[in-house]
Amino acid sequence: MRMRVYGRCSGLCCGVMLGTAAFLLADTVRWAHAQGPSPEREQKQIAVLRSNAPGAEKAIACKQLAIEGSSEAVPELAKLLADPQLASWARIALEAIPGPAADESLRKATDSLAGVLLVGTINSIGVRRDPGAVEILVKRLRDQDVSVASAAAVALGQIGNPAAAAALRKSLPMASATGSPVLASAVAEGCVLCAERLLSAGKSADAAAIYDDVRRAKLPQQRIVEATRGAILAKQSAGIPILLEQLRSPEKELFNIALVTLRELPGGEVDAAMVAEIQKTPPERAALMIQAMADRPKTAGLLPALIAQAQRGPKPVRLAALNALSRVGDASCFVPLLEIGRQGDPELAQAAMQSIADLPGEAVNAAIVAKLATPEGQRDPLVIEVIGRRGIVATAALLPSLEHPEPRVRSAALTALGETVELAELPVLIATVVAAKHPEDAQVAEKALKSASVRMPDREACATALASAVERSPSVPTQVVLLQIVGAVGGTKALETVGAAAKKKDPLLQDACSRLLGEWMTVDAAPVLLDLSKTAEGEKYQVRAQRGYIRIARQFVLPEKERAEMCRQALAVSSQTAEKKLVLEILKRYPNLDSLTIAINAIGSADVKDEATEAARAIGGKLSNSAEAKALLTKAGIN
Amino acid sequence: MPTRQSQVSRRLPRRGFLNTALSTAGAAVLAPTVIPGSALGLDGAVAPSERIVVGGIGIGNRGTYDLGCFLEQKDVQFAAVCDIKESRRTAVQKIANEKYGNENCKTYRDFRELLDRQDIDAVLIATGPNWHATAAMAAAKAGKDMYCEKPCTKNISQSLILAETMRRTGRVFQAGTQRRNLPHFAFACALARTGKLGAMKKVFAHPAGMQSMMSGWLIPEPAPNPDAVDWDMYLGPAAWRPFNAKLLDGFNFEKGGGLVGGGVLEWGSHCVDLCQWALGDVPPPVEYNAPKDGQLVARYENGVELIFRETGWIPLGSCPVRFEGETGWVEAGDSGKLVLSSPALLAGRTVEEIGGYPATYHVRDFLDCVKTRGKPKGNADAACNAHIACHAANIALHLGRKVQYDLHKHEFINDQQANRLRSEALREPWRL
Repeated sequence: MRMRVYGRCSGLCCGVMLGTAAFLLADTVRWAHAQGPSPEREQKQIAVLRSNAPGAEKAIACKQLAIEGSSEAVPELAKLLADPQLASWARIALEAIPGPAADESLRKATDSLAGVLLVGTINSIGVRRDPGAVEILVKRLRDQDVSVASAAAVALGQIGNPAAAAALRKSLPMASATGSPVLASAVAEGCVLCAERLLSAGKSADAAAIYDDVRRAKLPQQRIVEATRGAILAKQSAGIPILLEQLRSPEKELFNIALVTLRELPGGEVDAAMVAEIQKTPPERAALMIQAMADRPKTAGLLPALIAQAQRGPKPVRLAALNALSRVGDASCFVPLLEIGRQGDPELAQAAMQSIADLPGEAVNAAIVAKLATPEGQRDPLVIEVIGRRGIVATAALLPSLEHPEPRVRSAALTALGETVELAELPVLIATVVAAKHPEDAQVAEKALKSASVRMPDREACATALASAVERSPSVPTQVVLLQIVGAVGGTKALETVGAAAKKKDPLLQDACSRLLGEWMTVDAAPVLLDLSKTAEGEKYQVRAQRGYIRIARQFVLPEKERAEMCRQALAVSSQTAEKKLVLEILKRYPNLDSLTIAINAIGSADVKDEATEAARAIGGKLSNSAEAKALLTKAGIN
Repeated sequence: MPTRQSQVSRRLPRRGFLNTALSTAGAAVLAPTVIPGSALGLDGAVAPSERIVVGGIGIGNRGTYDLGCFLEQKDVQFAAVCDIKESRRTAVQKIANEKYGNENCKTYRDFRELLDRQDIDAVLIATGPNWHATAAMAAAKAGKDMYCEKPCTKNISQSLILAETMRRTGRVFQAGTQRRNLPHFAFACALARTGKLGAMKKVFAHPAGMQSMMSGWLIPEPAPNPDAVDWDMYLGPAAWRPFNAKLLDGFNFEKGGGLVGGGVLEWGSHCVDLCQWALGDVPPPVEYNAPKDGQLVARYENGVELIFRETGWIPLGSCPVRFEGETGWVEAGDSGKLVLSSPALLAGRTVEEIGGYPATYHVRDFLDCVKTRGKPKGNADAACNAHIACHAANIALHLGRKVQYDLHKHEFINDQQANRLRSEALREPWRL
């Protein structure tokens, strides 16, 4: 049986060849397609279909005809519609080939097919949206086979012309009454598809009429859900009562579709209706409605209601309102939100502060700065906090707060400065780190200085300022803190500063700086690490530097020669077997003649002889076309 | 030995399919919500009525990872698994039952029976790409929300129908583009989207292998017992071909009738999706050039270029993207790290560094939207646009020449060959 089906050859090799042929064919055709359609190629594919070629070849021929077949190919393709193996392949072509011949062939096939093959053909008619098939499909709505009738219903919905819509509407009550939820669902799906098409064409009254038909029918709930959404959108503001009805429905799915539709339905009348409705709605639902209201692309008149909901009432509703204000609020919300931020409930306070941080519009910043300018603003940690969270540059106004006796106020000011200060004012934070007037400010000041430093546009200037502070600071722990910040800033000056500090005598500095260099994010750290590999005090730091050096060779984008040279250097300085093995892994990862030479040379190291041999063999395997590589391997005695 | 006939799908929709799921609205109101009692209230953290009951469809390697992310969530009750492989069905059932300390996770060979269950609110679809769109559409029509792995569609037409269907049915759809819910990628996209990089010029995506080919038949092998491996359901909407074990487990095998996406779809559905997000979830590019020197350059309507490129990335891990504007650029990858043209772009913010592209946050986003009915980050509209960009690039790659795309008509301009690659017939009896 298989031999007959799959061709003239037999056995395993035939199948492999067929599979390979199928893939190779694509490459050939890709090249050919670049030059456009070809009648000659089409004739060749048609000839394959006419021949006794294996099914596999006919399948791929169908796909090629899908790309460049014409009505010439339709008769041969149509013959395959009754073939259980090739029907789906034939329909790939017939769905794609333009023109009436393909439509006619599919229509004609419905006369003789049954079961799944008929379903497939009807599905293809639907995809092609063939208006000439409406009469055939309408008849099939009464087919005894529910799957055929259902396919016909959906295909009519896809065609969606007036005749199809009329037939579907007419059969909806009948389908609902058949007791087959599958068929009823399919007819309803067809109706909704017709209505969607009408709605997008601007025929909203016609669409609404169909949606209402579906809503009134006895149908699976998901179809009712879809028709309900459609009816509301088709009726626009006149659909608001239907929307409210769903929002009050005890059925979760209808409430859910109302939340979806609320987000889509435009118009200020909707906002007004929702403001009134949330007053009467249970808290769990009101919270969800508020979220949906804030998701609407345009809103009108919501703010007073949302502020009121945020200020009092059940907590879920207040949280939802606070979140909504963060998206649709404006400067008028700042003071009420600040008041909520002062209240006892931490969850509400946090939500209020987040809301202020996210409030849209520059006018909000102006309102906050004005508040900071007042005496009570300068001692209000919340006002100071939002300055930082919104990234408002107000350094001069914040500086007096650094002297405030309250630690909370000073902490808020340091944090805000960390998020907003510019390079010229960086010394304010450096001074606090180097010599904090209040010891409890030290940690916050360090964090603030780091936040500020890593975002400075001129990182060389920033690193220079920090390096100068390292030099001036008499305390080694403070130097370490500053060096860590320098490391986070990065750049040439930073590398120079950290590299120099790593060579100082103090073990604290050696430890911190060798770590920083080991994680450096740019290639220029390589020479510094190589130097430390040889000169650092103590094996611990030398090994750490070696690892950092090897990391760069392994992970970073480098010219091949440079990477190979780094590997050679790394092997030369590595004192530990583990590091040498890491280098050999890199050589395997980037195979070339240089890496092969280095691996072969490493065979001379007794502790990694086996690994080096294996690496050389692996590299050689990847360079199997290279005569030089073969020669090197032969010379090294590696087969 | 199976005959040709026996390997061909003769199966109509199961008799019972949808008889419950599509029971009439009136009946649904009367029917009690069916949640196994012993599955509820295990830790008391989330009231049973607040739990989202989830089923899994096609839970292999990736699906098992996703499932772990779902099981972490206290408001999830994983109640059922469907797979065409018995070994996977029982493995996943074991995971769920051990998690809940009961025997309540049910197994199915046919996903339509799973969708038929009234108590299931949402499904995780982690089949091969062949099934994603068809299963997603079936789930939506059965009234389920879904988290669907990527690539979500097999062609442009499926992408458009996916978005339309989710709109029409009002279902929550989350594509498995989990990087949208990772802070460093989100930050990078926000920099571009909010103008912090100046007017956008170029966005770069890593396709991880630009190739396209036809998927044909392989040598027929004896088909296994359908109870162990249901080959017919595995093929599902794909054009028919005989059983071959290589096709069953091939990671990149997409069982369409022909055109296979390769890396442009597999990886591009992540990277291109991020590029689209960076530009404000814009419609896809309008022009796609033939690949040259390892790059495929596409152009958006406003002139911004989308560049698929294999090499030249800063080593920031897999799935790298790069966004270039007039005044700055940012590059990000799966290590969780960002590289910026200027530290000033951080503007006082600390970006949380989460490497390894976990899906936990994306799953959480999905579950939150199931409750609120909002749009998750990987919603169907976003997925549609990103997938169209990938498919159109793949068509340019396949044809080996430039193609131009009309965003209003959703067709290629004066290019019948390209237009014919926009869609592909599904095997009977499947439809979208």
